Amino acid sequence: MQWVQILILGLMLGGVYAVMASGLTLIFGVMRIVNLAHATFILLAAYLTFFLYEFLDVDPILSLAVTVPVMFLVGIAVYLLLFPRIENSPRFVESTVLLTFGVALFMEGTMGRTFTGTYRLVRPTYGTESFLIGDLYIPKGQLYALIVSAVLLLLLAALLYGTRIGGSIRATMQNRTAAQIVGVNVRRTMALSFGLGIALAGASGTLLSFLFPFFPASHWEWVPIMLALVVLGGLGSLQGALIGALGLSVVAAFVMTELGPTWQPMTFFLALFLILLVRPQGLYGKPLEA
Amino acid sequence: MATTTAPVPSLDERRAALERAEARVALQRRVFRAVVALVALGLIAFPALRGTFSAFNYVIQVLIVMLMFTAMASSWNIMGGFAGYISLGHNVFMVIGAYVSGMLLVYQGISPFVSVFLGVALAVAVGTLFGLITLRTRGPAFIIASISLLLMTRLMMDNWKAIEGASGLSLPIPDFFPTLGKVPMYYGMLAAALGAVGLAYGISRSKFGLALRAIAMDEVKAEAAGIDTRRYKIIALALSAIFIAWAGTFWGYTLNYIRPSAFLSVAIAADMALMSIVGGKGTVAGPPIGAFLIILVTELSVWLFGPSELNLAISGTILITVLLFFPLGIVGTLQNRQRDRLARLRAAVEDSGEAVMKGA
Repeated sequence: MQWVQILILGLMLGGVYAVMASGLTLIFGVMRIVNLAHATFILLAAYLTFFLYEFLDVDPILSLAVTVPVMFLVGIAVYLLLFPRIENSPRFVESTVLLTFGVALFMEGTMGRTFTGTYRLVRPTYGTESFLIGDLYIPKGQLYALIVSAVLLLLLAALLYGTRIGGSIRATMQNRTAAQIVGVNVRRTMALSFGLGIALAGASGTLLSFLFPFFPASHWEWVPIMLALVVLGGLGSLQGALIGALGLSVVAAFVMTELGPTWQPMTFFLALFLILLVRPQGLYGKPLEA
Repeated sequence: MATTTAPVPSLDERRAALERAEARVALQRRVFRAVVALVALGLIAFPALRGTFSAFNYVIQVLIVMLMFTAMASSWNIMGGFAGYISLGHNVFMVIGAYVSGMLLVYQGISPFVSVFLGVALAVAVGTLFGLITLRTRGPAFIIASISLLLMTRLMMDNWKAIEGASGLSLPIPDFFPTLGKVPMYYGMLAAALGAVGLAYGISRSKFGLALRAIAMDEVKAEAAGIDTRRYKIIALALSAIFIAWAGTFWGYTLNYIRPSAFLSVAIAADMALMSIVGGKGTVAGPPIGAFLIILVTELSVWLFGPSELNLAISGTILITVLLFFPLGIVGTLQNRQRDRLARLRAAVEDSGEAVMKGA
């Protein structure tokens, strides 16, 4: 029975991982930006959730109504401020890695200065309770996070496959020049996609805020995890990100019970390293070239 | 089209302008060389001032940090600048130097001035091994692979009981030069800095350096031109390990303790890249200038605002600004300006006026 329990815990985290990874892979797919600062936006949203809960008593899941739109706007602003300028640089993908690395340092330093280095955790009542079904125990917080994640991913799918804007985004992912020829406003689509990616980061940040303690430097724990998820699935592929997230979160849950929490991050580091060496394009993606 | 009515300068005038510009470049080069020689001599002589002013201990500490980052950024630049393989994991070599010398000092009492060579040898061996494994990737994949390598090494060392894990070891105060304070560490670090800059200079003037530049420009074409790119890249990575490990030895010795977090932080990995990029990736003078400026800014910000995370925000802002506005860095931008200017003047002389008409 124990392995069923581990499987369930792994899959429940997989939902949140999938939301994190979908934003990152969307940003790469549309703009070929490797966003090393993605996790700092996750933390920013987590802090926003934390303060909404502490000062205004807003339930973390309800605060999605604030964090998602706010992070969407932050994303668009960051995109317009930084990326049009390097659009034509010869090694674009590599430049984006360095540029977003700079953004990550800036965000970490600024958050450290403003929010201090104290560990934070949002503690709604469901954060510590769990359902007991037979022998299996299911933490309420993780279950709610999984449900919200599933809803968000369905909404994302509906947006991408059911609307005109979604069509433009997918067209730009497939072939930017061709999309431009058939009349897609590529610049606007890219700004929207970046906003959307950061909004997804915001949503996952809100969910993480009551699942894991966080502090300004803790985004470095999430960077390799997210990169492993999307590199396994194939950068730029949304179904790849989903499969990578569910797969690796289950593996990590088993590593955690077998070898202890210390070695759990090694799952992601090692997965990331090996995939890049053996199959850099992942399951579904395009290879990572400069 | 702007219509200019200014008369076209005669050929003689253009020749004279070119000669003046060339003379100025030659003079600038001579002045630059003299400044480099003076700085080197000044750095060698600096410890003689010990005891003459009260801030000596502070100044020598800052100089040690500047020299350390000069060594590390210059070495990083062999891979990141010359060969175009940006790494965010090069401090793995630093921790090797620090731990080999630190362990030998604690358990065998061997002086770091002897054990530094063992640390360097091990770092070169590990660098070759890493090269064999990771240099299958390129571009962004290499950057990400190097970060994951750094994080894996950190996690393993933090949990490695035999080397005391995350808490590390305190080093004994060395008794061979008890009265000299930080001066021995200073000379150890100075040797690393001079060695690294010398190595970079040597590479930049060699056929090997030319091959690395070809790899940075277009690896496929370089391969087609008959360059054994894989071998060159692995050698470059191994060479870049030498003085980073050396600096690591003397940094542990300066801190008087070794622990993984002191060497294997993302911030140190970032600083090497940041300093090279700010100074000018792929140039010899760039990384030392970058190291000097970044440490100066860091010290100023500590002095003004106290030690805080603000340093990180400042580093990030500098990196973003340089990438957006001066992607070639300080030295690269200046060199480019000079080269363009000379090329324009030369064209004006050779094209018998055409270039001038185009508005040069």
